Amino acid sequence: MNVELVAESVVQDFLSPEDEARAFWRLRYRLAATSLRQVLATARLRLALIVGLSVLLWLALFWLFADGFWFLRSGIGHPETHDQALRAVFGMFFAALMIMLIFSSGIILHGSLFHSSEIAFLLTVPARTPRVFLHKFQEAILFSSWGFLLLGSPMLLAYGIVAGAPWYYYAMLFPFILAFVYVPAGIGAVLCLCIMRWLPAQRVHVLILVGAALVIASVWFIWSLSVGRESDLLTPDWFQEMLSRLRFAEGRLLPSWWLSTGLLEASRSAWSQSVMFLVLLIANALFCQQLAAWIAQRIYRPAYSALYGRNVRRRRAKTARIDRVARRLGAFLPQQMQLLLVKDFRLFRRDAVQWSQFLIFFGLLVLYFLNIRRFSYDIRHIGWINMVAFLNLAVVGLLMSTFATRFVFPMVSLEGRRFWILGLMPVRRETILCEKFLFAVGGSMAPCAALILLSDVMLRVAPVVLASHQLTCLILCVGLSGIAVGLGARLPNFHEPSPARIAAGFGGTLSLIVSTLYILAVVLLTALPWHFYLAAQQTRRVVGDAEFASIGRWLTFWVLAGTAGSMVLGALATVLPLRIGFRAFRRLEF
Amino acid sequence: MIEFDNVTRTYGRKVAVDRLALAIEPGELFALLGPNGAGKTTTIKMLVGLLRPDSGTVTVCGHDITKQTRQATRLMGYVPDQPFLYDKLTGREFLEFVGEMRGLERRTIDARIARESGHCQLDEFLDDLIETYSHGMKQRTVFASAFLHDPAVLVIDEPMVGLDPLGVRLVKDLLRSRAGSGTVVFMSTHTLAVAEEIADRIGIMNAGRVHFLGTVPQLREELSSHHEALEPLFLELTGDGNGRVSSRNAQRTPTTT
Repeated sequence: MNVELVAESVVQDFLSPEDEARAFWRLRYRLAATSLRQVLATARLRLALIVGLSVLLWLALFWLFADGFWFLRSGIGHPETHDQALRAVFGMFFAALMIMLIFSSGIILHGSLFHSSEIAFLLTVPARTPRVFLHKFQEAILFSSWGFLLLGSPMLLAYGIVAGAPWYYYAMLFPFILAFVYVPAGIGAVLCLCIMRWLPAQRVHVLILVGAALVIASVWFIWSLSVGRESDLLTPDWFQEMLSRLRFAEGRLLPSWWLSTGLLEASRSAWSQSVMFLVLLIANALFCQQLAAWIAQRIYRPAYSALYGRNVRRRRAKTARIDRVARRLGAFLPQQMQLLLVKDFRLFRRDAVQWSQFLIFFGLLVLYFLNIRRFSYDIRHIGWINMVAFLNLAVVGLLMSTFATRFVFPMVSLEGRRFWILGLMPVRRETILCEKFLFAVGGSMAPCAALILLSDVMLRVAPVVLASHQLTCLILCVGLSGIAVGLGARLPNFHEPSPARIAAGFGGTLSLIVSTLYILAVVLLTALPWHFYLAAQQTRRVVGDAEFASIGRWLTFWVLAGTAGSMVLGALATVLPLRIGFRAFRRLEF
Repeated sequence: MIEFDNVTRTYGRKVAVDRLALAIEPGELFALLGPNGAGKTTTIKMLVGLLRPDSGTVTVCGHDITKQTRQATRLMGYVPDQPFLYDKLTGREFLEFVGEMRGLERRTIDARIARESGHCQLDEFLDDLIETYSHGMKQRTVFASAFLHDPAVLVIDEPMVGLDPLGVRLVKDLLRSRAGSGTVVFMSTHTLAVAEEIADRIGIMNAGRVHFLGTVPQLREELSSHHEALEPLFLELTGDGNGRVSSRNAQRTPTTT
């Protein structure tokens, strides 16, 4: 058969750009509608929890921002200074968000444009390259900016209400935000494409370098803001100094400044000025999108090809010293359990995606605890110190509960997928669950105890309170591990290979709720009696020793009772879920 | 119809495909055989435009795949070794999307879906969500999507993986029937028996180079002087399993077309 004839017989017209865009939107709509229907039908509890918590967070932020704006309004009477303060707050907020959006959209696009299996499919259909890029670009905008909406909308609404803004301020909010997010997302996309085209092998190094530079700059900036004598705090000179240090965020060429100025002008009924900034933002948003699509047209396919054409070095892994140390630490355990522990430790250690997320939160908490004295000028009262110390304990507990849900809960489900390995070996099923429990306790106890110790040292709490916090930390880690392992064995998901999705399912959500309630109960049981005891000690000089002795005995009893109660609760939270898990795991068919 | 003109592709220092020169005509079912890491999948990825050659050109119906990617890919149907399907779409919705992307009209899409649903036996589950499909059902849906626009060129990477005997028979019949109607079928496979049964021409590849190119009778002729079955010859042509090729193979570098 003639070549041209065959080719001619099947040639269809290309879709017009508009029809192509519509086809992609229809695809997205169908995918979203099906997912939503499924969530409504099968995961109502999860959905209700997510919506409920989001609404709570939104309301809390709204209240916080409204309170802050009222404070600024009443605290700074001078109109010009008030205006300067607002511009500084808005400028910093949006400039920080802009940097975060550049980063997050670039990272999301790196995954979706270069590592998703969908893209390998889309690149083999005759869709225009810029359309394929825009399909993923719009997704990246959605994924990277929902946090901005959650944080930004309560702040902007609160400001509008406090400032008595006209109706068009509220009408322009969404167009302003939408136009704004396109600019950093476009910059992030261009950077991502260029790095992948010309530095595919060094992409991780580039990211680490830029990230490290930003972290150092942020730490230096925060440090520089907080340097100063406590006696100078909140004086007019200090205030002017702060404003001048924040002025870099008000550069006239920054899109974040156009956004903040446009919104501030709208709130002051200067609608023509506001519309000008909105138009400026929209024009730049369109330009950024066009620029990114134009660059994608030229370099996306070569970049994709270059990425998969680089020389991938095979990773070799020998028995690391750290494995030997882990083995020695668990030398008192049965041989099989030692082997299982080392295996899980290796899997966890070599999956950087797993531990890097935990490391970020851990690092942020370390940063916060190290600066706790610097930021907390007014924490001198013993009651406040203990309240902050217990709040820090609760925060560490909550971090631990997300760790347990995200990493420990899916362990049994993931083991189930490869259960043919362990299932054919002479290992008792109880041994497997016990090992998971020990792994979770061991893995969580060291970082949590270290964090709480750091917090207590920085707050200079009394040694007895420090010891009590360490005990509470142990109770939390053991209980949370028991809940995650037990429920993970009782409600496994063997169909899902992704631990993140297993954690996001019904079992994971239930584990998270139970864990959160458990943390609240344990912290309250230990924190409240201690709080009243320490508060009573403060009044000792006023009420006298005799009076205090009678109250003190009573409060000491409650401190001990609370500690005992938390220990009993910890034992129950460990034993009950594990028993349920053991029973279910013994009966489980793979 | 398909032409590889002195195509080379490297991964760093490793040469994945080395000066490949190959032409496949309309109506021909070509099977590319070789062990793991021979360069088959790289060859296929260059053919469908996912990877670009370092040197040389790949043309499909006269269109250079690197410079005229859209013109070339609209003439192709592609079944990858690990196909992607949208879990949250039904089989019908997926085929509609592919049909639209291929520029088919609405009425034509409906008619072709009905036709391919019959050919690939999808009727029972076409309106179910893809996430509920078994591997075989997914594989048949991907075949239907590749056939939907009656492509001039069909490119298939490991078509029989995970299929039951009935599915294997179905795919073999479909590929033969497509080749019979003038379509170029380019297939890569590990399975010598499949290639022997349905291919018009076979290429045996190892370490990036084609070591044998010819029809099945030519291959049989080759073996009759040295071997009793195809398999020992295949194993010899593809080296000792460690990527090393015997000296005898080096002399059998093919003349192409």
